[in-house]
Amino acid sequence: MNDAASVVMLIVSLTLIKATPLIYAALAGVISERSGVINIGLEGMMVAGAFTAVAVSGPTGSVVLGIIAGIIAGALFGLFLGILATKFRVDQIVAGTGINLIAIGGAAFALVLVFGQPGASKEVPSLEGASWILIALAFASAAGLHGLLYYTPWGLRVRACGENPHAVAAAGLNPLRTRIIAVTIGGALAGLGGAYLSVGELNLYSDGMVAGRGFIALAAVIFGRWTPFGATGAAIFFGLFEALQFALQRSGIPNEAMQALPYIAALVALAGLTGRVRAPAADGVPY
Amino acid sequence: MKNAVYFSILLAALAAAMAGCAHRAQTTSAPGALSLGMVTDVGGLGDRSFNDSAHAGLLQAQSQLGARIQVLQSKSAADYQPNLQAPTNQHFDEIYAIGFLMNKDLDQMAKANPKQNYAIIDAVVDDPNVASITFKEEDGSFLAGALAAMVSKTHTIAFLGGQDIPLLRKFEAGFTAGAHEIDPKTNVQVKYAGSFEDAGAGKELANLLFDSGADIIFAAAGKAGLGAIESVKSRPGKFIIGVDSNQDGLAPGKILTSMVKRVDVGVFRTAQAAKNKTPLHGHLILGLKDNGISLTDFQYTKNDVTPAMMKKLDAIKAAIIAGKIAPPATREDLATFKPVAI
Repeated sequence: MNDAASVVMLIVSLTLIKATPLIYAALAGVISERSGVINIGLEGMMVAGAFTAVAVSGPTGSVVLGIIAGIIAGALFGLFLGILATKFRVDQIVAGTGINLIAIGGAAFALVLVFGQPGASKEVPSLEGASWILIALAFASAAGLHGLLYYTPWGLRVRACGENPHAVAAAGLNPLRTRIIAVTIGGALAGLGGAYLSVGELNLYSDGMVAGRGFIALAAVIFGRWTPFGATGAAIFFGLFEALQFALQRSGIPNEAMQALPYIAALVALAGLTGRVRAPAADGVPY
Repeated sequence: MKNAVYFSILLAALAAAMAGCAHRAQTTSAPGALSLGMVTDVGGLGDRSFNDSAHAGLLQAQSQLGARIQVLQSKSAADYQPNLQAPTNQHFDEIYAIGFLMNKDLDQMAKANPKQNYAIIDAVVDDPNVASITFKEEDGSFLAGALAAMVSKTHTIAFLGGQDIPLLRKFEAGFTAGAHEIDPKTNVQVKYAGSFEDAGAGKELANLLFDSGADIIFAAAGKAGLGAIESVKSRPGKFIIGVDSNQDGLAPGKILTSMVKRVDVGVFRTAQAAKNKTPLHGHLILGLKDNGISLTDFQYTKNDVTPAMMKKLDAIKAAIIAGKIAPPATREDLATFKPVAI
């Protein structure tokens, strides 16, 4: 009996650990897409956050500074995407892909500059036992973003930009600026998700450690119907299946099937819910 | 609109330039000298494991043979072909493909350039101008498993692999059999991270294995293994067994030993042959006998590994070299493995 309880505890804690970076990145996706900017660059923003957190935490010896730097790095990439997608009307998919390439290549390059060795950084001060703070903060961020989007005038403006930026402009407001700010906030969240991976859960950066989480987060955004709580739920759902996959390996169910299961479930859910799931009308459309 | 086009081009160029930077790790030149090119696997330099070990062999050739070396890092499987092509165009004396994933690309390259010498690690490529260097990982893993079974207090040990592929199953099967050689009742748990790069996954799985009673984990998972090493640091009485390179110093006292795969020995040996204008071709298998595979010397764990255990390990090693024990290299062979009295 005790055993069953401990297995449940283990899966719950593993699910939270797995879901946390996805939650941050999915929230980042929600705010930028609700403002009308598709964010393919989540992966790159997470990489930027993960690397910068380590690069600052190491030399300064302060993990808090590292995390703040990770957030700023993500935000800068968000700002970059925001400007490209609005002022320069660059195709958002291309711009996001470019950001991924720059961040991943740049981190690999900067790793050698900062730590003098390729592949993986040296060990740096990390949150260690206090990493639950970032897990809790992920949920708080979801609630905060919900409040921001649905209960503030600015949130209304963000959502309007995603549906009909012309109406926003007609009301005498600047939809471009709103989009840039929204994507920048998103970048900060994704950067924080990356920092959780490198100095929250671990104490180093290694190339490839983000491992596609930015793209899984994109799926969580859609599965969660572009809402903060929905995306958070989807991230937990994906995290749960990853945790189960870890715990149940070699118990008869093929690993690959376990890994594919949440995405199959997401596809089925989305296909079965057509009509009720709708992206923001102006999502991906430059104003 | 024009702006947008310019910006896209600029962005793409910048991205390409950055990617290029990451690719070319280093070049040194000494004209007329032996020239060696190396293409790393996606794990890349800095894995403190497989690719770094190959790189060590290359550096040894640089310092001892005066070789001019160039390392090209692969960020994805799509990089193998162009990375192999570049040194081929420069007619290097020997070009190394580090990792079995490159076998198809190397085969094509070798057939297209029959005068160029190539060497591949961990795969057999059947071309007259290729040296295929493989290792008897199951032998070293067998020793690691035997040691783990002797040191374990919970009689539960674990294997943590990167990807679940035949190469890694050699480690898994050898390790499990080695443990059963000491005590058939040893519980050997097996998990795969599904990646050689996801350090987070490595840590979570190691946590999970330690929490479920294992006190020693053999982590053969590249950079994901770095996460497992991170996990063991805060756990008294638990150990990781490292892999490929000597990882003992990454967490002194917490890495029981490392099963070292001397990729550097294979690299250096082929470099030497190339230097003497007698390049190696065909299949070279390195094992315990030629020190191609070995356990490290317990530098930080002398208090945990007793002289009696070391003696037992030496006896097992001798029995493997003499052919009395044949460590299994697949799960099928593992199923029929019977401990041998020595």
